[in-house]
Amino acid sequence: MTGCATRSTRLSEFVPEPVLSIRDLTVEFKTEDGVVHAVENVSYDIAAGETLGIVGESGSGKSVSMLAVLGLIPQPPGRIVRGEALYKGRDLLRMPKGELRRIRGGEVAMVFQDPMTSLNPVLKVGEQLSEAIQAHNDGVSDKESRKRGVALLALVGVPKAEQRYDQYPHEFSGGMRQRAMIAMAIANSPSLLIADEPTTALDVTIQAQIIEVMKAAQRETHAATILITHDLGLVAELADHVVVMYAGRVVERGDVFTIFSNPRHPYTVGLMESLPGLAVEQVTLQPIPGQPPSLISLPPGCAFHPRCALSNGRARCRTETPDLREAGAAEHVAACHFSEELEGYKSKLVGAA
Amino acid sequence: MSEVSTAPSAADGEHSAPAPSASDGAILRVENLVKHFPIRKGLLKRTVGVVHAVDGVDLEVRRGETLGLVGESGCGKSTLARTVLKLIEPTSGTIVVNGRDITRFKRKQMRPIRRELQIVFQDPYASLNPRMTVRNIVGEPLKIHGLASDRSERNNRVAELLRTVGLSPEHANRFPHEFSGGQRQRIGVARALALNPQLLILDEPVSALDVSIRAQVVNLLESLQGEFGLSYLFVAHDLSIVRHVSDRVAVMYLGKIVEIGTRDQVYERPTHPYTQALLSAVPIESPQQRGKRQRIVLEGDVPSPVDPPSGCHFRTRCWKAQEICAEVEPPLENRGFDHPSACHFAEPLEPLKLTEQAALAASAPTVEVDAPSAEVDAS
Repeated sequence: MTGCATRSTRLSEFVPEPVLSIRDLTVEFKTEDGVVHAVENVSYDIAAGETLGIVGESGSGKSVSMLAVLGLIPQPPGRIVRGEALYKGRDLLRMPKGELRRIRGGEVAMVFQDPMTSLNPVLKVGEQLSEAIQAHNDGVSDKESRKRGVALLALVGVPKAEQRYDQYPHEFSGGMRQRAMIAMAIANSPSLLIADEPTTALDVTIQAQIIEVMKAAQRETHAATILITHDLGLVAELADHVVVMYAGRVVERGDVFTIFSNPRHPYTVGLMESLPGLAVEQVTLQPIPGQPPSLISLPPGCAFHPRCALSNGRARCRTETPDLREAGAAEHVAACHFSEELEGYKSKLVGAA
Repeated sequence: MSEVSTAPSAADGEHSAPAPSASDGAILRVENLVKHFPIRKGLLKRTVGVVHAVDGVDLEVRRGETLGLVGESGCGKSTLARTVLKLIEPTSGTIVVNGRDITRFKRKQMRPIRRELQIVFQDPYASLNPRMTVRNIVGEPLKIHGLASDRSERNNRVAELLRTVGLSPEHANRFPHEFSGGQRQRIGVARALALNPQLLILDEPVSALDVSIRAQVVNLLESLQGEFGLSYLFVAHDLSIVRHVSDRVAVMYLGKIVEIGTRDQVYERPTHPYTQALLSAVPIESPQQRGKRQRIVLEGDVPSPVDPPSGCHFRTRCWKAQEICAEVEPPLENRGFDHPSACHFAEPLEPLKLTEQAALAASAPTVEVDAPSAEVDAS
């Protein structure tokens, strides 16, 4: 990673220095059926204190791109074809394993989707929490790490933290486990927090609690937060910026207010149209026709064109892969040849506001 | 096989008669339905406790309507759905289908009833036999009920069913693994439709599907309802979907219905604190709504159904709870507002209404305002 440090100057066009800057990330998996193009030319930045929502359906590459950045993709069958992931100027993709391990769980922390499977069932919650603290801080005594662990559990709203510290994961409910996961993630005051579907496995009333905990955790640590989700509502609640992914590519990127009020990619529009609103009255839903493509044999040109309402069979969509282009507002880009045609589109979701 | 006479309702159907007004139009009526699962422990498998999964539910589904049943995981909504079909035997209570009390019906007697009631399961990956072709899956009910005289008639019917749910007849030779989640759910719907049922029980039919596919299946269900005059019992935890599809909505908490009414009554003017908290907890729809909706964040988790709280089951998380809530169980009845609610202190609130300043008349100490983060507001 020598030399990598200097390259961050190239990206200084963004006012706050990005904590993480991903460029042209491309990840493939070799399978029996062929090569799966899971992530292709993905680029984005995230600054301190900011929340970036990555939206996409299953198979859109939203989780894989993050796992690749963290060195959590088994290679083989996975392969990082190209790209870089500059964390504070250093490329995580080319970092020696030992160094990456020190960063991971320390400065860069993760919250996974399923709190039922991401805690070790045979270790007490407190032991797992202090393991996270001691692994990244040499010479912290057991007593000291216990004190910090209890304080962290209290911070994320686990009642009777002192007693809960000595319980096993099975004694925790789903919401409590997710709180414990968040406590573990923020244990070492991370600069970057990656939350992969943090509320998907939880009930609505518990989800509301976790959203509040996530907000509190970010206020506490001021970490840059990447929120990977399929839930547009969660993005509306928490994100500052949004990246929309489809079939392994970024199709739209921009400020959360702009994306929701003036989406410029037909896929983003399709997602919003297919959601039934809770407060908005609506006669029929407008589904996106067809299904997501196989990542082994992507459609030529724009991967979305077979399902696109805007394409209308135009040849250019079939032959030419669209690049991300400026779409009106500042820092708003969309990968559609005809995004200008969506200029007058008003999202029904915003109409409700 | 057995020619079952339209069994006259047994004696136990007589004693209970709530809501007699609309019962004529009811295709399904459930009275004081209870399902307790015993917890057995030890060598002798002695019963050491019971899970109160469904704890006294009154419900009816009227002809041609969609009744939405919402609740969080563990509230008993799926158990209720399965008990109604007698896939699970009820502990007590009455189930009346088209005027016949089927509560004590045996397997054989149930067979003709199953022509009238069918179910679509949540997980389209687990509910289709991977070793059967689509033709056999969809054709099996026809075979069991002897509804097609020979193979070619059955095949024609399967082809017709597949077309009805938006698949092509050529798909009949394939196996479930060749289909995506949305297509599998269509196969599940085709199977349920094979017997021309009157009532479909839909147990989380779109929860396992991707967002863009969900709308396809919801639209399919709506068009089938119009085409065949079906009634639906739509069980789901997704409040937006339930609002979209339902005519009436029942809200379930810990084995009981806490509030029931028309869609607008429940969503616009809920009177039960749990319904109010549930609706307010749904994430906002656009960032422009940040800070404009009041959020009631409930403390704690749902208590265990093994040992539910005395009196009102919701009282342990309720900000309105008084002594009476622990002593007297509030019945589900009309409390001076336009629809029944099981709360001693029922009072309408508009949890979905957007306000300019979110600090509305808040009766709850646990009410938290969903404030926008400062950085975002500035931009």
